[in-house]
Amino acid sequence: MLTVRMRSLCAATMLTLATSVAPAFAGKSDDTLRVAMAEEILNLDYNYTTKREYIILAQLTDATLFNINPQTAEVEPSVAKSYEFVDDTTLDVVLRDDVTFHDGSKLTAEDVAYTYNWINSPDSESNANGVVERWLDNAEVTGPNTVRFHLKSVYPLVLRDMGARIMLRKAGSYDANGEIDRDAMASDLIGAGPYKVVSFEPGTELVLERYDGYFGDKPEISKIVVRNLPDIGTQQAELMSGGVDWMFKVPLDLAESLGATPMAEHLSGPDLRVGFLVLDAAGYTDEDGPLTNVLVRRAINHALNTPEMAKFLIGGSAEAIHTACHPAQFGCDQSVTAYPYDPDKARALLAEAGYENGFPLELWAYRDKAASEAIASDLKAVGIDVNLRYVKLQSLNQARAQREIPAYFGTWGSGGTADTAAIARIHFSDSDRNLSGDAELEKTVLAAEQTNDPAERKALYSEALGHIADQAYWAPLFSYSANYLVSPDLDFPLDPDGLPRLQNAHWK
Amino acid sequence: MLRYIALRGLLALLVAFTVSLAAFFLLNVATDPAQAIAGEDAPPEVVESIRARYGLDRPLPVRYADWLGGVMTGDFGESYYWHKPVATLVADRADETITLALSALAVTILIAIPLGALAALNPNSWIDRFALGVAVSAQAVPNFWLGLIVIILFAVTFPIFPVSGDDTWRHFVLPAFVLGASSVPAVMRLTRTGLIEVMGADYIRTARAKGFRGWPLLRRHALRNALLPVISVLAVQLGQKFGGSVITESIFAINGLGRLALESILGADIPTVQMLIFVFAIVFVAMNLLADILNAALDPRIRIG
Repeated sequence: MLTVRMRSLCAATMLTLATSVAPAFAGKSDDTLRVAMAEEILNLDYNYTTKREYIILAQLTDATLFNINPQTAEVEPSVAKSYEFVDDTTLDVVLRDDVTFHDGSKLTAEDVAYTYNWINSPDSESNANGVVERWLDNAEVTGPNTVRFHLKSVYPLVLRDMGARIMLRKAGSYDANGEIDRDAMASDLIGAGPYKVVSFEPGTELVLERYDGYFGDKPEISKIVVRNLPDIGTQQAELMSGGVDWMFKVPLDLAESLGATPMAEHLSGPDLRVGFLVLDAAGYTDEDGPLTNVLVRRAINHALNTPEMAKFLIGGSAEAIHTACHPAQFGCDQSVTAYPYDPDKARALLAEAGYENGFPLELWAYRDKAASEAIASDLKAVGIDVNLRYVKLQSLNQARAQREIPAYFGTWGSGGTADTAAIARIHFSDSDRNLSGDAELEKTVLAAEQTNDPAERKALYSEALGHIADQAYWAPLFSYSANYLVSPDLDFPLDPDGLPRLQNAHWK
Repeated sequence: MLRYIALRGLLALLVAFTVSLAAFFLLNVATDPAQAIAGEDAPPEVVESIRARYGLDRPLPVRYADWLGGVMTGDFGESYYWHKPVATLVADRADETITLALSALAVTILIAIPLGALAALNPNSWIDRFALGVAVSAQAVPNFWLGLIVIILFAVTFPIFPVSGDDTWRHFVLPAFVLGASSVPAVMRLTRTGLIEVMGADYIRTARAKGFRGWPLLRRHALRNALLPVISVLAVQLGQKFGGSVITESIFAINGLGRLALESILGADIPTVQMLIFVFAIVFVAMNLLADILNAALDPRIRIG
């Protein structure tokens, strides 16, 4: 398999051959947005998938009880008209009465209760089961348009999970006539979103058409064709020849070179993914090791030139961060301690900690090799003798599970969830990713998930993030950037949460 | 003859099983199928539920034995991604790869044999040098690069053929050229060498004495003998086209076995990779066997078995 860099180099070489040619833009003329995706689309049912491409498609084909407003990160009613917490563990939801599925049938309270109870049951083997069974006891129909959700315990992210993870299905979709068919919606999807499926050839092409019966704001573009093109160079050629109007996950150098021509526009938007160094403060790998000393961890934070890494290695709209979360996430308090790039101060702190001659450090990484090498280089510059171990994610995961990693360069996309809970829970509670060994911190992080009061949650996250920063458990590095290449005829708005919403695109 | 074919068949099976065993363990060591299916950022509970669902939490030898037991009964398992029998998946995709491989072979024949013949008839001339240049270039150019070049030239700059896809014969022209080009050097050089050798043979001198010249001499007397080794090489090349279609199919977005192999390897779809390796190994050995049989059929002096 060729590296992206190699492909980009070839593609850039070819670009010079083609720049003199006037492109043909077919999308606008037939009001069809042609989208390229490298990932093979095999299953249209997001209740049974996880990857980002499927989230993008689910936004088009499916409806959820709630929506997360990408501008405000607040949860807003969608299929739900209103909701009320009867008590901490009982949620009443009133449904709109004008929602229909793509087959024309009306969405009912039975459909909503069925969807949640099905996903919650072990029989479903749904990819959303792990999310729902954490908090849902059962869903109960309480009226023609009302559903009551009985929660297992207090869970403040319930509305978010409902908005992001559970796609509503008709009652009996997966077990009609008592026979379980988990793939029932994989190809013949009946959703209630702004677009309906016209045809689907797995791994090749998906054709969507605007659904006129959609209850919300109707999209402007009438048709979307999603083509699976595994090679980024092919996607680029299709964009140049007018066969594609939109491509994403574009390497920065390719996006900039093609975006500088009249054939395409380069859009760079935020991405909820952040990069960070995790340090073995707990001493799992060496109980008296240098990383157990807070001065050393602060020195590491000061040693890293994160603004330049963000600007030159990640590029686009990437920015240096100083928090253990993405600034756009709810509760990500930016007032916590920052450690500006200052190699002299880093050396002084190392000396103060008794490591004036540095120490050997095994640094693990699995992606973004250039950034990994820059991190190693910065640490070497202050005297830390870094041995960079660039491995596959699988190997890193295994070594981390065995507590064999003193420090690693990790990244986390939070599954597109703009809430600090999506990053804090997994990295600072009961998980092998938590190298802090700080039981009090874990309590604070989990406490923020035990209240529905937003102000209280914010306060708890401020406390947790402040403590993480003061103790320098992490060296936060940078946010990532999402690069798109689109047809010059296309107006594609970018949202702060980094999730591409094709339903909001329109022609210029 | 039958005994020979049976022995070669057995050899093919042994090769296929050996390769599948190595691939199975390597894939499991190098990747985590459950993580690959779930995605990089999937919560641990999702990864674990996938691991349990597909039985990936069992020891490797148990899983391999399970797979082998299935194969013995004709069941190659189910794809982790497609949720359908791997045999069905492979059968559905085979058409595209067979079409591409045969088209590529046709391209090889159409370019390499005339070029080799011209070079042989004009040794050390500019034509010979040109043919040598073509051979060296085709050998040196990686097909992902050639693929992008022809796409830009013949699909973007001069939009004669489509960039990607596999709907019509026009979609196969560029990929067939790219895949076929890689075999041109071997076939062209072999044609040239064979023809030069044959053209010096006594029976050609006799034919010349009888008044044969040019194309009739080449067609009726020289080529038939000179192409004997070429035919067996072509059969081997056809086998290589199946396995070699991985990059070409990905570049041109052709839904064949090569692209399926690439996607399956990247996604750690082990049952699919296992069957594809099995199929590729069998095809390769079968093509070698075909080469032997063809040689025997064309040259009565050769006997196999």
